[in-house]
Amino acid sequence: MSEQTLVRDLGYILVAAAAFVLVSRAARMPTIVAYILAGLVLGPVTGLLEVTASVELISRFGIALLLFIVGLELSLDRIRDVGKVALVAGLGQVAFTAAGGLVLCLLLGFDLAASAFIGVALTFSSTVVVVKLLDQKRELHTLYGRIAVGIFLVQDLVVVVALTLLAGLGSPGTTGPLALLREMVRAFAGMGLLLGGALVASRYVLPRVFGWAAGEAQTLFIWSLCWCFLLVLGAEVLGLSLEIGAFLAGVSLAQLPFNQDLRRRVHPLMNFFMAVFFASLGVQVEAGAAVAQWPAAVVLSLFVLVGKPPILMGIISRRGYGERTSFLASIAVAQISEFSFVFAALGLRSGLVDESVLSLIAAVGLVTMAASAYMILYNHELYARARQWALLRPLRARQEEDEVPPARPRGHVIVVGMNALGRRLVERLVEHGERVLAIDTDPRKLARLPCATLLGNVEYPSVLEDANVAEAKLLISALQIEDTNNVLAYRCRALGVPASIHAFDRSVEEVLSEIGVSHLLISKNAALRRIFAELAREGILAP
Amino acid sequence: MIGIATLLAGAAVAFGVARWLGLPAVPLLMLAGMALNLVGLVPPQLLEDAVVLGLTFLVFVAGLELDPRRVGAQRPAALRVGVAQFVLLGTVGLLAALGLGFDATTALYLALALAASSTLVVVRLLQVRQQLFEPFGRLVLGVLLLQDLLVILLIPVLPRLPRGVGVVALGVATAVALVGLAYVCLRWLMPLVVIRLGLDEESVLLVVLAFLFLFGGSAEGLRLPFVAGAFLAGVSLSAFPVNGLVRAQLNSLSDFFVAIFFTALGGFLVFPTAVELVQALVFAFLVVVLTPPLVTVLGERAGMSARSAIEGGLLLAQTSEFSLVVGLQGLVATQIVPGAFTVIALVTVVTMLLTPLVATDEMARRLMRFHPQRRRQMAGDGEPPRGHVLLLGCGENGMAVLEELIVLGHRVFVVDDDPGVIVQLRQAEIPALRGDGADRAVLERAGARHARVIVSTLGRPADSVPVLELAGGVPVLVRVFDDAAAQMIRRRGGTPVLVAEAAAEEFLEWYRAAEAAGALRPAGAEAAEVGASA
Repeated sequence: MSEQTLVRDLGYILVAAAAFVLVSRAARMPTIVAYILAGLVLGPVTGLLEVTASVELISRFGIALLLFIVGLELSLDRIRDVGKVALVAGLGQVAFTAAGGLVLCLLLGFDLAASAFIGVALTFSSTVVVVKLLDQKRELHTLYGRIAVGIFLVQDLVVVVALTLLAGLGSPGTTGPLALLREMVRAFAGMGLLLGGALVASRYVLPRVFGWAAGEAQTLFIWSLCWCFLLVLGAEVLGLSLEIGAFLAGVSLAQLPFNQDLRRRVHPLMNFFMAVFFASLGVQVEAGAAVAQWPAAVVLSLFVLVGKPPILMGIISRRGYGERTSFLASIAVAQISEFSFVFAALGLRSGLVDESVLSLIAAVGLVTMAASAYMILYNHELYARARQWALLRPLRARQEEDEVPPARPRGHVIVVGMNALGRRLVERLVEHGERVLAIDTDPRKLARLPCATLLGNVEYPSVLEDANVAEAKLLISALQIEDTNNVLAYRCRALGVPASIHAFDRSVEEVLSEIGVSHLLISKNAALRRIFAELAREGILAP
Repeated sequence: MIGIATLLAGAAVAFGVARWLGLPAVPLLMLAGMALNLVGLVPPQLLEDAVVLGLTFLVFVAGLELDPRRVGAQRPAALRVGVAQFVLLGTVGLLAALGLGFDATTALYLALALAASSTLVVVRLLQVRQQLFEPFGRLVLGVLLLQDLLVILLIPVLPRLPRGVGVVALGVATAVALVGLAYVCLRWLMPLVVIRLGLDEESVLLVVLAFLFLFGGSAEGLRLPFVAGAFLAGVSLSAFPVNGLVRAQLNSLSDFFVAIFFTALGGFLVFPTAVELVQALVFAFLVVVLTPPLVTVLGERAGMSARSAIEGGLLLAQTSEFSLVVGLQGLVATQIVPGAFTVIALVTVVTMLLTPLVATDEMARRLMRFHPQRRRQMAGDGEPPRGHVLLLGCGENGMAVLEELIVLGHRVFVVDDDPGVIVQLRQAEIPALRGDGADRAVLERAGARHARVIVSTLGRPADSVPVLELAGGVPVLVRVFDDAAAQMIRRRGGTPVLVAEAAAEEFLEWYRAAEAAGALRPAGAEAAEVGASA
């Protein structure tokens, strides 16, 4: 039965990837690499897995969610300031890399057509790989992260144009400068239309619609996904990539108060689906053909890994960015993209190149994606090493930091749950002169508080990270949700942070004491004492 | 992509309507799925994939919630009530199905489908009403968890029935073996993987999902349904703190898949014939009418108060999302016809939609009047007392006040609407009246006008308004939970005791003491350390 196939395929992918992650824990293998390796094992090595329509659909779904998350993280304002550098660097990188690749391929003995083709294929960097890793490192919003994302968006437009052009090559009469111009205009007009639509919606429609459902996490979640796929469909209709549609959907929701919360919710789903995507990349490799091409594959992979970044670094540092930013942003592009595969497949179909080029590009793709995953994951260490060895001196980039990371709260008191008790605790603590951070899942409950606020569900570790619990003076939960309180108590204990947890009922006290909290806020006892005090005032009880 | 966008759009509309009308989302999702199927935009392959994956995650997360600690002290009671309700309702369902002319196998499926109540619907209601931790909330939770477990464990049994006892026994034995494996994982493996290895969030998710598919695959290898394995995978993660650490991530996966599942499932439904409609209504009627008295009697036997037992009964009066799973399994095993599945789905939709309308305070109050003990207790009380302390409501706080007053030798009179509490008080020879503290007649008989002081710990602030109006010069203390209620009580001449304020004040006392004792980390501790070491 076909349905069993999907479950079985997913099972294979996840089990194999989990095995890789667990076995290679010492090597701190990035999950992306584990997925690709799982795909290699399941596809070329054992032949257990084939890329079915369902797997394909899930992969595309994953990519859409990934770009949706990027959009949620980066509102338009945050990438506007890097627009210029992204445009220059994106186009410049394409030109220089294509030229370099062409020369290299000619030296390797390919004919001119194939060399030109491979050169272009090498210029595309993988948005998906980079964005996934930056997101994992939580560095999407940094200056270098924004520049990288900007470059990818520019490249995506180039890809769209290149792919449509190449598709047109098969049918004669549609090539030539006029067709190129037409495609460019079409792509940019489509982009403008979609962007305009998304902006109008984000200004006038979405806040009202989503505000109505605030506090209903599941409704918001499904609605956002629905909005994402509406724009993805819109992008497809306009001949744009799915990435751009999903990204714009994210951007249009980015200014709503719950964007971070939404991002956290979409995250696990995206991770799950992206596993399928990366594994399917590995599955599709023609191992035999790739092995036969190994000298060329090694040379080209080295070019992508080592040659591409300096080109970009030169361009970015010329625009006045500092050394660190230029380095980190440039390191990010040291791989080729899954589009390179699509591009090569199209080239094969239109007779420009033969089978061997396709498998060569696939091999270069896998090697560079895996290697650059490590490079991006350890980019700060790489930078330190490069400085140490004076590798960056020839660029003569500015040494100052471009941005100082914002100071995170420290020594603060965190209050979770803005019910009557939570609000009162916040007021009292602020009066007492404490720095207070209030957390709740409902934006309405966070309104009009005399302190800093954070919207999110504390069961997500990233919320606690954002609140910098590890350096807090105390965490208080006023929540009346037993499971969440227990998890909070547990996490605080693990971090060694004092916790005061609301024990709203006798029956929750035992477990909390077992976990070990600094203080149990037993509200019923407090109420009782107040009743006794009042009875004493009435002369019923002795004061 | 169009297919998936359509499914999502259907789910989005269903969620919107659910929020608008205050109904549970599950039945609306299924209706949306039916509508989408009529339009024909979703390819059948996608529907199948969505149902299979959705089902996997639905049972997985259900297993994850199966931490018996959440049931707390109510475990024995939950066991008794859960099993008894399951068996009794199942039997009634079986008889009714046979009476309606279904064949024996279909009747068994129908019986199993009717026996359990819905975790998704009930837990959500309890959460919204913040009643999960109340004794009856815990009992209901225990009942639900137990029934989920029973249904999942019985699902593998039904398809084997035609093949004789030996095959069934073998199936049960393998299921038990897999449960054993799950237990091993629960105790040793999962804490190791999730906590000790120190993996990042994504890797933990990866490993946990790998376990889901490993268990499912093993189940299939042992000729058990995949979902049974998925459920046990969830169970193996259900111990604290592992469940707490993975819950958030898995919940967002399940939120998505469950929404897609019910919508896609709706796509499989055929329009019912008139006969099927009548059959479904008969079953729905049985569930809604029989469950509350059944659970009330069982709950009271298990030591719950009448009010709690009634509320529990009302909450449990619907069939489960697992009823759909049961039906689906029967359909896949071709043991039941699509019509029978439609009947099961209809019963589920109808009873789930009725739950929020039936399980209300108002309804519980009304049903209390039919409680057999009420009449006995109301009759035979003498003159209203005078000069006493009148307690309205005798829950945890009320009882504590009562004890203190008794120790000091005060004359006390208690009004509570729970027969169990009243019996207990009368045994201790404390004058008490069973009734609604918001009822003027009851207040008159409790001597509210002539009391020395009145303490109200009634649940809703509005319930204390009658006593404030009636009491005249008598001081009235009212326990309230929020500012609005406190203001209302003060305006009407009462003295509010605001729990939040009292608790905040106590907290601040502790805070000052802890700060002085150096138990809290002083602000900028690290800076100070750096300074010291330099």
